[in-house]
Formats: sequence, structure tokens, C-alpha cells
Amino acid sequence: MTVTDRVEQGVTIVAIEGELDGKSAPEAQQAIVPLVPADGKLLIDMHGVPYMSSAGLRMMLLLYRQAVAKGSVVALVGLSEEIEDTMSATGFLDFFTVVGSVASGIELLNA
Amino acid sequence: MNQLDFTFSDTIAGYVVDHDRAADTFSLRTSDGRVFTVRLKDNTYAQMVRNLGEPYADATGPIREMLVPGRYLYTYGVYYPEQGAFTFEAQFVVFVGRKPDEYAFERQDWWIRQIEQLADFYVHAQFGDGTIDYRDYRTTISLTGEKPTDHFRQETDTISRLVYGLASAYLLTGVDRYLEAAEKGTDYLREHMRFYDADENIVYWYHGIDVHGRREDKVFASEFGDDLDAIPAYEQIYALAGPIQTYRISGDPRILKDAELTVDLFDRFYLDAEQGGYFSHLDPITLGARSESLGENSGKKNWNSVGDHAPAYLVNLWLATGEQRYADFLENTFDTITEHFPDYAQSPFVQEKFFEDWSHDTSHMWQQNRAVVGHNLKIAWNLMRMQSLKPKDAYVRFARTIAEHMPAAGGDAQRGGWYDVMERALEPGQERYRFAFHDRKAWWQQEQGILAYQILHGVLGDEAFLRHARESSAFYNAFFLDHDDGAIFFNVLANGVPYLLGTERLKGSHSMSMYHSGELCFLASVYTNLLITGAPLDLYFKPLPNGFVDRVLRVSPDILPPGSVELTAVWIDDEPYEDFDREALSVKLPDTQRRPRVKVRLTPTKVPARGTP
Repeated sequence: MTVTDRVEQGVTIVAIEGELDGKSAPEAQQAIVPLVPADGKLLIDMHGVPYMSSAGLRMMLLLYRQAVAKGSVVALVGLSEEIEDTMSATGFLDFFTVVGSVASGIELLNA
Repeated sequence: MNQLDFTFSDTIAGYVVDHDRAADTFSLRTSDGRVFTVRLKDNTYAQMVRNLGEPYADATGPIREMLVPGRYLYTYGVYYPEQGAFTFEAQFVVFVGRKPDEYAFERQDWWIRQIEQLADFYVHAQFGDGTIDYRDYRTTISLTGEKPTDHFRQETDTISRLVYGLASAYLLTGVDRYLEAAEKGTDYLREHMRFYDADENIVYWYHGIDVHGRREDKVFASEFGDDLDAIPAYEQIYALAGPIQTYRISGDPRILKDAELTVDLFDRFYLDAEQGGYFSHLDPITLGARSESLGENSGKKNWNSVGDHAPAYLVNLWLATGEQRYADFLENTFDTITEHFPDYAQSPFVQEKFFEDWSHDTSHMWQQNRAVVGHNLKIAWNLMRMQSLKPKDAYVRFARTIAEHMPAAGGDAQRGGWYDVMERALEPGQERYRFAFHDRKAWWQQEQGILAYQILHGVLGDEAFLRHARESSAFYNAFFLDHDDGAIFFNVLANGVPYLLGTERLKGSHSMSMYHSGELCFLASVYTNLLITGAPLDLYFKPLPNGFVDRVLRVSPDILPPGSVELTAVWIDDEPYEDFDREALSVKLPDTQRRPRVKVRLTPTKVPARGTP
């Protein structure tokens, strides 16, 4: 599991590569939290995440809360159908903004 | 040292010793045997203790005739320092019964009427008089029952606590609106607050949600300072309190399933399988109890995580199901408490904060080396419940030790009632245990005192325990009932005057939501009638057609001494019904697709030796 970040048009884009499970989710959280901007815009790119366990879900939820606490807005892009289904079934999807592409994410967060 | 050479007001609680008509004074003996002289004035007034919903009952006219030896009362007045001592002049007197040996709150229906008033207050405050919709629920409500316009938090635990109170109100009254509110609250918790973890096949509960119109933001981990970014055990424990009390009525299998999966969470993640007990916090991502991310909460155990399972849901889960798994869990809980909590060589209070290896944690956050008086009393109360499930000498010894220490260590023998948080140890030169923050008295700690001494008397028979139960109950009913705005005050000053500042002014908050007040009404009804005065008690149930296993409805109201109570009558939809087990306290429900209303009558088998009204 790797985490990379870049900034495009004022939006911090954090890309996760690899499975998010009980072992990797804490590592992902440690890597991502310092990247969350204050009063900024965060787009989490999940194109490279083929599988996410409940530990990954819980990590996403905490990440979301920490971003909001810092005054940032968050969107998700690149959810696999399976992950989207899981997030929907557990009620997690309701409070994430999900977009279809990185470009539309940047556009939405800058709107 | 300071000299008290000024006037001040205070309360005295005690038993009348004699009344000197010529001097217009009477003497009062406190609970611990000290005698005070009280001077009546020509404008001293008196009132009877009264229940919620009852009008003011003046007793000024017969005040002097009522000052007969042995009568328990409160008097509030002014101390005047003069002639080397203090003259006490009474401003008012509160009597606790019409007859000298009467305690009004031992009336058969006292607590039943009180819970009805509480339920009406909370249902009206949260939902108005129309449709019950939990989207309207708010954790915070004001002294008068108003909701805030700028705060939209719905905490899982406070909904669950409200549901507990409402389900208890249905059990005692059979009023359908209370059950409707309890069941809708349980459904809401399941639909909005529950997280089913498919990977682990467990259930855990969100801290709460923020409601913004039709949108809701889930709050997963706790946001409170003590528990920040962790999943504290007590939140998961209290999430079950309301649903399980509702399950006793309905037998809804969905509730049972959630409870089983939450107990799995406790057993697989909170349990310390090697050294026993349950950890207090989990890391929200790894579900580990030893994660560094938990900070001060890493690898800790405390009263809440180890013991609060029992009163919050586990006793009720066992009562409703009769499952051995829960009896074993209860036994393990009380064995653990009995092994690790006593610390009488060091303190009259139990030790309630621990490291993983059970060594004492005396520096944790605000708790330090402090005692919560109500936790001590709660342990005594619940040990006596456990004693009727699986008797052990160690349980009785420990409960007696607590009961004997608490009046002097955590009680107020001068004014009545139970204090809040105390220092566990004396510093050099100190003769009295110090209050950690203040000498106020919180409503929920009074509940623990009442229930502890009621059941101690009910099971062991000691008259001293009955006296403490009555004194505890008298203080609560004299000073905690809000006759103006409804429900119960959060805190009173040591003298019984309500303390109405900050969050302690609220009727709904993170701490308060009809749980303790409702639990007190329910169990004080049970203990007073069935263990103390010998009166029958009716309970109401409304089982679902697909509810209880084998259509067996268990109606025992609490874990009571075996054989002390019989099921003497059952009605289904108001018609007498005969298919029940008198001694097992169970009803074989009819095979029907309707949802019957079941009323049962429980009757104590022993008539108490003493006469009570």
C-alpha cells in the first residue's frame, strides 16, 4: 500500500494504491493525516484500491472527521463498484461526496 | 483555624427525639446519632413530600402535632452563632409521610406515578403531542424541556437511555405511547447508529449523528475529551441498554441479534482473555485495546468497562432470554470485581481504575486517585442481584463492606443524600475525605444509594439497610423532583437546593436522558413492593408474534431471591389467562399472529415482619 500526494488547482489529491485492510489501514491513516490541508480541499483518489475491509471503512470515516475538523472539504474518486456497494450498505457513502473523475472532483471542490 | 462567627443557612435531616411545646423547640437525631435542637418560629412553614404531578401539600397547620418521636423529616433554617454555640431556627420543614412511621414513597404506586410523569415529560419534550419521529430527537434539552435551535447532535447513548426509560415506563404502566416511543427509538438506533462489520461479523455503534435537515453526518469515534478518537466500552454498553429493555417487552429478534453481535464485539476485542476483565477503549481502526493511538486510554480497565455491562443490559438480557452465556458473563463480571476492586487497607472506597495487569492506575486524567461514590453503591446493588442468581459468600462480604463504609465515607449524615466524587486517600493532617470538585449531589448517585440499600435489606434483612434506603429515597423525593417544569434535577447543593447552572441545568444532555430516573422508578417499584412492603406489582408486555423463543415470555422483573415472588395472575388483552408457570415466572404465549397485550401480577411470597403503610 502506498500513498502519494500532489496539488492541482488548489486541490490536494491523495492517491492510495493497494488494499486497505486491518494491516494497511492504520499505515494509510498515518500517511494521509499529515497531508490533510487546513481550510482546504481534499480529493482522495481510490482508483488503485481494489479491496477495502471494514478497517479501511473506519479509517475513511476518521479521515473524513479530521478533515472536517480542520475546515477542509473532502471528495472521493475512483471507487470500485464493490467498495461503493459496501460503503452504501453501511451508510458511509451518505456523507462522502463521490465524483466520477479527478477532473470533475477538482471542478466540484473549486465550485 | 477559622471560627464560624456568622449566620448561615443549612438543612438538617433526622428523626424527632422530642418536642418541647413550651420552648417551641424540638430535637432531631441525625442518621449517625448526633442531636440538634431546632427552634420553630411563628412563620416556620411545613410541607409534605409529594410526587411529580401532585399539588403542593401544606402541613404548616399541624406542624407541632406532627413532631412526634421517631418521625423522619428535613428542616431548613438559619444557624445563629450566639452564647458559644449555634441556635438553629427553622425556615421550613419537609415531612415524608402523614403518619409518624409513614414514608410516602413506599406507597404501592408512588414510583409508577413518577415514571409516568417522567415519560410524559420526555415524550412531550422530544416529540410534542403528535407523531413520534426520532429525526426530531435532540440530545440536549433545557430545564423546561425546550430543544436548542443551534445544536443538532443525536448521541447514540442518550437515545438508548431514553428508550430504556420509556420501555421501563411501559413495563410499569402499559401505556402504548411509551412503547411506541421505545420501539421507534430502537428502530432508529438500528437504522442510523449501528455499524455491522461484515469482515468481523460484529456490531458496533456510532457515537452519534448530526442532523442537518434530511442530511446526517455520522460521528464514528467519541468526541469527548476523555475518549477522543476512541471507541469507549461504556458507549457500546449503553447503546444496548434501551433496546434490551424493549426486548423484554417485545421479544423482537432483530434486537437480540444486534445484542449478540455487540456482545461478540466485547468478547473478541474488549476482553482481556489472559488477565481478565474488559478494556476501556479500542482504537477505532484496528479495534485494538493496546494501540499507541489511544494515548492515556491504551491498555486500561475501569469500572465502566468491567462492571457496567451488568446494570446497563446484561441482567436484563439474562432475564429476557435465560441464556447460560449471559449468566456466565454475569458471574465472570462479579468475580472479577470481587477479586480486583476491594482496596480497604488503603481506602474506604473501591479502586476502580486499572492498568492491564490490574495494578492500580491512580493518575488517569481527571480521575486520579479519586472515587465515584455512586460506583461504590452500584457495585453493592449489583452484587446483591448476582447473589440471587449464583450465591457466593464473597459477594455478600463485599456488598456488606461497601454498605457499611459508604454512609460515613460518601454520604451526608447531616443533610441526607450521597456525594459525588471524593478523594480516596487522606492527606497528612486531614480528618475527613475531601470532595474532589464540590459537595453537590447528583441525581444518578442518589439512585444507586436507594437501590443498593433497598436490595441489601430485601435480600439480607438488616434493618439498618432499610433505614439507609428510606433516608436515601426521602432525600431524592424531597429535593430532586422538579415540580415546576417536570422531571428530575441533575444536581442539588449539599443542602438539597437545586443547582441550576451550566450543563447541570439541563434535563437532556450527554449525561441525562431518563435512564437513571426511569431505572430508579422501575426497580424501586420492584424492590419496595416485592421485597419491602409485601405488595403485589403488575407489569405489562406486548410480545411480537415471531418474538420470544418457544413463545415463552419471562416476566421476572429483576434477579430476586429464588422463591420470593410468584406469578399469581395473567391477563391477555384483559382476559384472564391460565397458561403460565407460577414459580418460574413465565407465560406460555398463545399461538397467534396478533400482538397480544400481556398483563401479569407478581406477588411476594413472604409478608414482611414490620408494618409499613
